[in-house]
Amino acid sequence: MNEYGVIDVDEHPSLTRLIRLGLFLLVQGVAVILVGFAALFVSFDPAWSATSRQANLLQPGEARSGTLLLKDDDGNTQEAIRLGIDVDITVSGPTLRARVTQVFRNTTQHWVEATYLYPMATQGAVDSLKMVVGDRVIVGDIKERQQARVIYEQARERGQKAALTEQERPNMFTNSVANIGPGETVLVQIEYQEPVRQSGNEYSLRVPMVVGPRYNPAPIVQSVDLRADGSGWGSSRTDPVPDRDRITAPVLDPAKHAPVNPTSITVRLQAGFPLGEVKSHHHAVKVDSPDHASRTITLADGTVPADRDFELTWKPAAEKAPSVGLFREHVGDADYLLAFVTPPAAERTEQKPLPREVVFVIDNSGSMGGTSIVQAKASLLYGLSRLQPADRFNVIRFDHSMDVLFPSSVPADARNLATANAFVGALQANGGTEMVPAMRAALTDTLNEPDTVRQVVFLTDGAIGNEQQLFDTIAAMRGRSRIFMVGIGSAPNTYLMTRAAELGRGAFTHIGSVDQVEEHMRSLFAKLENPAVTGISAKFSDTAADVTPTMIPDIYRDEPLVLAARIDKLSGSLEIKGRVGDQPWSVKLPLQNAAEGKGLSKLWARRKIDDAEIARTIRQVSPDEADKTILALALGHQLVTRLTSLVAVDKTPSRPAGEPLKLSQLPLNLPAGWDFEKVFGERPLQVPSQPKERRADASDTRGQLTAKRVVVPATQKPGTIRLPKTATDAELRMIAGSILLMLSLFFFVFNRRRAPVRRAG
Amino acid sequence: MRRSILPVALAVLGLLLFGQGAYIHAKALLAQILLKRAFAESIATGQIVKPWPWADTWPVARIEVKRLNAGAIVLAGSSGQALAFGPGHVELTADAGERGVAVYSAHRDTHFRFLRDVKIGDEIDVTRSDGKLFRYRADWSSVTRFDASGIDPLAPGHELVLSTCWPLDAVTSGPDRYLLHATLIDPES
Repeated sequence: MNEYGVIDVDEHPSLTRLIRLGLFLLVQGVAVILVGFAALFVSFDPAWSATSRQANLLQPGEARSGTLLLKDDDGNTQEAIRLGIDVDITVSGPTLRARVTQVFRNTTQHWVEATYLYPMATQGAVDSLKMVVGDRVIVGDIKERQQARVIYEQARERGQKAALTEQERPNMFTNSVANIGPGETVLVQIEYQEPVRQSGNEYSLRVPMVVGPRYNPAPIVQSVDLRADGSGWGSSRTDPVPDRDRITAPVLDPAKHAPVNPTSITVRLQAGFPLGEVKSHHHAVKVDSPDHASRTITLADGTVPADRDFELTWKPAAEKAPSVGLFREHVGDADYLLAFVTPPAAERTEQKPLPREVVFVIDNSGSMGGTSIVQAKASLLYGLSRLQPADRFNVIRFDHSMDVLFPSSVPADARNLATANAFVGALQANGGTEMVPAMRAALTDTLNEPDTVRQVVFLTDGAIGNEQQLFDTIAAMRGRSRIFMVGIGSAPNTYLMTRAAELGRGAFTHIGSVDQVEEHMRSLFAKLENPAVTGISAKFSDTAADVTPTMIPDIYRDEPLVLAARIDKLSGSLEIKGRVGDQPWSVKLPLQNAAEGKGLSKLWARRKIDDAEIARTIRQVSPDEADKTILALALGHQLVTRLTSLVAVDKTPSRPAGEPLKLSQLPLNLPAGWDFEKVFGERPLQVPSQPKERRADASDTRGQLTAKRVVVPATQKPGTIRLPKTATDAELRMIAGSILLMLSLFFFVFNRRRAPVRRAG
Repeated sequence: MRRSILPVALAVLGLLLFGQGAYIHAKALLAQILLKRAFAESIATGQIVKPWPWADTWPVARIEVKRLNAGAIVLAGSSGQALAFGPGHVELTADAGERGVAVYSAHRDTHFRFLRDVKIGDEIDVTRSDGKLFRYRADWSSVTRFDASGIDPLAPGHELVLSTCWPLDAVTSGPDRYLLHATLIDPES
């Protein structure tokens, strides 16, 4: 293309100029054709004007992060929605039925969609959703989760009032209510069934009231390897908490805001036997006694902010609680049974207990700040004091980092115990909660002495979002270790405690205040020190039965064995056999004498669903099979599960077309006794929209810190699909190409103008 | 002449770049024509038909959004090579019409350019290579990271997910993906 350089050929200036002009036109022509060709594919306009349409296509999970209290046009933050909660519980013998009414009141001038993240009793079987709009009551239907969401979103788009109850974790639910008009009040009522918990001589119920902010470990970068061919299969990352948006709600700083979400509680207690002491552990209550076997308990102050669990215990008037209970319910064409059996305590004198190896693990993360760490330290010190000289022990503390006190377990002699006491005494609560590495360290069995008993005592509030990772770790590494969970604080993650203890074949206890430490730790150590009832089996003499739990766990001292079963006919007897220490033990329950109970079929189904989840965790069944089982049970018994939701839609549209709908994510209180700064870092300037972002930032850096200090196992969540890279650089190349062409044209013109000037000079 | 080297070099480079860009689009366009032919034959014969003799992939389905008059032939697999010619059926996800989630992925600037115009409620038709037609309705959309799609291919229900790069109008590639979720309306309609 050297012809371009012919401008210096003086003999034929006009020819040169002609050639240049021709080339110029040619290049321009080619450029125009190419741009026209490109325009076939690249239409820039819709790309930039599409933003407004995209806005309403965003997933709720996207939109909800960051949207908080509504800001009106003047920039004032006003509480968008006020929430009141009423809990009404009826205890009938072995079971309780709770009705939770959430009152959503819209005090703004806008149409609002409200979402509220709330805790659920761990064994609770949610089976009913009602939405009350004015004088209309709309009853919810159970649907597969996706389908329910579609129904809800369609109603939302059409301007109809709708309510949706979804499970995020077995003990964490979300209620969404669409189209609450300005000044309107909508009631959402859910009901659940739960078994009463028994321990020794004491019965108890627990109403969780607030979801403590969870620590969600940052995704861990496994490797970075970008292929040159641009296929997009490159850096590999896995998120331990894929639904982090769904389990995070704004949290109010108690120093800046009055507590929200006032809650009233009524418990109608019909124990079925003459009652002795009835006690609420964390709330002041009024107790009425209509007769010797029933009580009505209400809050002394009317309402309390939803910032700590409500715990009620009751004891029989008699010295000993009944050691056996058998209840039945007839639903459809089947009978359901619920059996409670407390095995006799083994005689301690029979044999010398086996020497033990006890590994204490204490959570000193930021969520444990305030009173929780005091309770945890007191509990651990009590545990150390209970060790026998023949025992061996170790102490592990963790936040986002981890320290193991001794390289391997050491004898419980005076010197080692003094070292441990000093170590525990100096602990401060701070940082993230990387629980999985700590559990791995605790389960690593370095001594491997088969004639000792290996026990792990794990003290935590369980405020993590990657529960399943922890369960997977336990399932894979438990070996011969037994795991005993100690739930600390005013709102512990009970689901994590129960499931971890079940997978770890141990037991769990709660410590909700400092004065519970001594009593509860004493009973926990009674469980650790006494032989358990092992090898338990249940047999029905006359009838086929579907018994749950499928794998009957070992029973520790003072705990009852709780069995639920679905049987074909109510005849014959149930025989339970096992071994207490080295003594055989058996008990026979005639089915005819079973008392009438309520909601037992739901409890059976709920427990079967737990069985399926556990079988999935320990890889006994494939995820697909487990899901199938769960779905069938959930749809058959109308239960909300991971796979099913309740949805209620008011057929009459209420929001006029064209009125915008704003999303309001209701803020939660910080659980009582928690330290805001310890959880969220420094106090943010703007409350409460900041904490979440700050938290996310903080957890990011913490995640990286951890990656340096300990090797964190990253288990890929099974079944999530990686999406290929789906962008070409065609447009980039074409845009760059066009720019270069334009530039060259510009230079051509520029040179052409300058050429005659030079010749003249 | 030295002064004209720069504009010439720029012009050559510009044309080269532009040509490469245009080539990607031309390839995408031309391949679809060949694929349509192969797909039609595939439906007729019930055999896997390769669109050209050296192809390492073959058409498995046709996606259509009638309202937008848009559509594309989907290829087996979602490798970079396959995606240059058409949307890919992401490995290990369900077939259209089967229980589970079928995931189709394509470039946002070629075959899935029309995704930005798909509205919630739009009907998406998927014809499988055995000739069966399944009609899906777009339900919701989301934006996720490519490795945190949250798609469980074994999830209950009959779902279709169309995935492409996000943001839709960006020119560089990033880790985010735009997902359009659709649910089967009723089979064999």
